[in-house]
Amino acid sequence: MNPISSLRILPAEINSASLAPDSASEPGFRTALDSAIDDIQQLESQAETKVAGVLGGNGADVHSALIAVEKADLSFQLMMQVRNKIVSAYQEISRMQF
Amino acid sequence: MTNRMIDTPITEALGRFLDVDVARYKLISTNLANIDTPGYHTRDLDFRAELRRAAAEASGIEPGELQPASFTPVSRTVRGLMERPDGNNVSVERESLALAEAQMKFNLGAQLLKDQFHTIGLAINSGGSTS
Amino acid sequence: MNLFGMLEVSGSALSAERWRAEVVSSNMANAETTRTPQGGPYRRQLVVFRGRPLPRFPMLLASMRQTPEPGVRVDRVVPDASPLPRRYEPGHPDADSSGYVTYPNVNPVMEMTDLLSAVRAYQLNAAAVQAAKNMIQQSLQILS
Repeated sequence: MNPISSLRILPAEINSASLAPDSASEPGFRTALDSAIDDIQQLESQAETKVAGVLGGNGADVHSALIAVEKADLSFQLMMQVRNKIVSAYQEISRMQF
Repeated sequence: MTNRMIDTPITEALGRFLDVDVARYKLISTNLANIDTPGYHTRDLDFRAELRRAAAEASGIEPGELQPASFTPVSRTVRGLMERPDGNNVSVERESLALAEAQMKFNLGAQLLKDQFHTIGLAINSGGSTS
Repeated sequence: MNLFGMLEVSGSALSAERWRAEVVSSNMANAETTRTPQGGPYRRQLVVFRGRPLPRFPMLLASMRQTPEPGVRVDRVVPDASPLPRRYEPGHPDADSSGYVTYPNVNPVMEMTDLLSAVRAYQLNAAAVQAAKNMIQQSLQILS
């Protein structure tokens, strides 16, 4: 499975907890993460197409392709950070003792 | 959410700037290649007008929509150039100057873009830990 | 046509100018050749350049946005039709019945001017190649 899909693997506890989209009013972390991951996959495939076209001489310009690559990369990094924050926030909460 | 943070107005504007500059380079390069072609007339583009046009085209797109195919500039024949007996009016001085200009602009744009992405990267990765 | 494609345009110009320089060399070498294998004196040659047509050019786009033709090539190498000079040299083996020898219509001064022009055009297109190379390399710094 490609690196982006592996972002969807959150600790089992989070999946089973109430972070799942139960209520209509609050979509929850999981769906926000899912839709953002879909965005990244689209960005990455766009970047890939541009880069593949560059060497042919008739595709996108080099700078345009590299900009697309960099944007996809930054989006990926952003998602990694968001995912990590979700996980650590959950762990923090689960550590609380009442 | 992610798009607005990374597709900032500055990165978009710099991307368009590079697009127009590269488009101009292509015209200059073609002029130079045809410096001895009989009847060939110099072509160029209006940098500022094309930048404005690219910006206008871009603002017509909603975020999330597919981006349009690569920007096609409008080129025009340059007036006021002296024509040689074979009909060719490419000026060495003019094209050499334009070539140098195009390169400098490109280097500037690429450098600024690199700095922008670097800053965005720092913003993404330097958030403190939550412990 | 992206920057890599433009390298081909500049490359075509480099080839064409070099061909032109070679024709000048041939003219210079044969400036005094009064007898060629085909008979008769050498006649000066010159090259005619021509822009290459765009591949698959959509006609609608052509009317709205006049994109110039990419690339250039030597269309043909033609003999110079200007008259061949004749000099009175009765002792020459190639002299005709009245003692005149017909010489090539090669003017060394004009050939040198032509050569300088070809060399300068070559240098300009080489500079264009350098510029493209430089821009491609500069693009790489966009990646962090």
